[in-house]
Amino acid sequence: MDSAERIQAAAKFLLQSPPGEINDVLNDVRNIISDDDSLQEGVLPALQEYNLAQFIIADVPGSEHQSIISEAAKLDGDDNRFLDPRSKTSFRFDHLSLEASDAQPVEPDADAEPFRAALESSTLAYLNSHFHEGVASVFATPGSSSTFTIQVVANKYNPSNFWSGRWRSAYIVDLEAKTISGKILVNVHYYEQGNVQLETNHTLTVPLPPAITPANATASASKLLALIEEEEGKYQTSLNDAYTEMSEKTFKALRRALPLTRSKIDWDRVLGYKLGAELSASKGVFAES
Amino acid sequence: MTDLVDSMLDLMRRLPPTRVEENVTALVNICPDYADDLLGSVDQPLKLKTDRATGREYLACDYNRDGESYRSPWSNEYDPPLDDGTVPTPKLRQLEIKANEAFDTYREMYFEGGVSSVFLWDLDDGGFAGVVLFKKSLSPSASSEPSGSWDSIHVFEAAERGRQAHYKLTSTIMLELVTHSDNGANTAYKKPNSDSPTMDGIKTNGDVSLSGSMTRQTEQDCPVQNQESHITNMGRMIEEMEIKMRNLLQEVYFGKTRDVVYDLRSIESLERQRRQRELQKELVGFMKR
Repeated sequence: MDSAERIQAAAKFLLQSPPGEINDVLNDVRNIISDDDSLQEGVLPALQEYNLAQFIIADVPGSEHQSIISEAAKLDGDDNRFLDPRSKTSFRFDHLSLEASDAQPVEPDADAEPFRAALESSTLAYLNSHFHEGVASVFATPGSSSTFTIQVVANKYNPSNFWSGRWRSAYIVDLEAKTISGKILVNVHYYEQGNVQLETNHTLTVPLPPAITPANATASASKLLALIEEEEGKYQTSLNDAYTEMSEKTFKALRRALPLTRSKIDWDRVLGYKLGAELSASKGVFAES
Repeated sequence: MTDLVDSMLDLMRRLPPTRVEENVTALVNICPDYADDLLGSVDQPLKLKTDRATGREYLACDYNRDGESYRSPWSNEYDPPLDDGTVPTPKLRQLEIKANEAFDTYREMYFEGGVSSVFLWDLDDGGFAGVVLFKKSLSPSASSEPSGSWDSIHVFEAAERGRQAHYKLTSTIMLELVTHSDNGANTAYKKPNSDSPTMDGIKTNGDVSLSGSMTRQTEQDCPVQNQESHITNMGRMIEEMEIKMRNLLQEVYFGKTRDVVYDLRSIESLERQRRQRELQKELVGFMKR
């Protein structure tokens, strides 16, 4: 394997990192590749791809809040500048250290801003009422005043108890097509003397009721988030049903807790049974002859 | 510098269990010198093979592999055939045949299907070692039905000490469960008197996958009367271990991972809970006065 192929393999490992474990994976990969110079250069695109896909959060410079690093937040032209619409600033983001710096003011699109701001305030209220430690960002779409992106991420990392988890949801609100389309992704990693992972993906499309209009920003935004709240609630309930099905049906069908006899195996008899089967088989042969 | 194999094992403990084969192959390509260490310590899903001589299915893993060939426990033959493939001594082969019969009975009683295989090999110090394998897969008849697989890998060492034997057992169980859901426009489910217009035209689609492996070890001394005692001793130890691990898997898969989802998002409004707590505090304060 040449150096480029090794870096490519390393990048693939990084992209599979469970929530909150990118540094652990990076440490392992560094040790395995043992070529820091080419690694550092070579895996930056993978780190960037990972951070954007996983909705990694940034401390917005000069603000008390955090914002989401994602494709929607990425500014054109410069690979490492991201937008925080809430503080109306952009900042540089270092994909290795995960640090944000060099904040600069950004003038929002005047047509889209009122509705975006209303969506943001409803989203933050929703976040506060259903997520323990969540971060949300709401983006307008450049060149459009009728399409918005809502993104939510919640992380829990507990390395001392060997588990971590991430909930991501992303919605595109299209006021012209009158739909919300989105996805919910949940990842959980449990790794005490093992490696168990929950991975879910769920896509949904919800038509918007007629009362939701750009003119009626505040009321429309709160209705939109009520729809999202309902769908996410339904999803979490359906996840419970999936758990019940897997536990009550699939798991039981794979292996019984005890044999049909409801008691453990009598191993002396297991060897004896075989003997018995051989005896009766030879008897059969004897009777026929 | 951390040991290279430790880094590889740590990496495998973090990356998705569903991709273990692909990732082990990548690691072997990066560090070919460590292939044996890696293949010997990372458990991979068992492969199903068919014995050419008897037509019976058996399981293939690193323990019955010689080069590119795998030995069948039923005919003792390698596939593709090997002239000088490693086989157990005639005495140990006799025990292997009996062990395969006994654990096949065990398989039928607990798994009610699936495939089992037992492989034994002589150790340099006079004792012997072996691996007991079980695999069961559920293939759904429709995509909406859950699918799953269970792989057990029990590796043991037996050292005879007079009329006692000391057993070391390392057990790994790999379990994968997947459910798929696809709801087109939800109108079909709309209740006749439902006044919820938001139910109209909602489309959802998703997968839930729980997969992984857990490993446990145990040691025990047991009396030995004859060769067959090893089968009853190992049988009891493995049965005990699988019962324990099945409970553990149940707890981790359906308990712990679900708890983490609820640590991320709450179905109930947290805002309401916070208000209730406030109210409670006020009441307590009021009562104390």
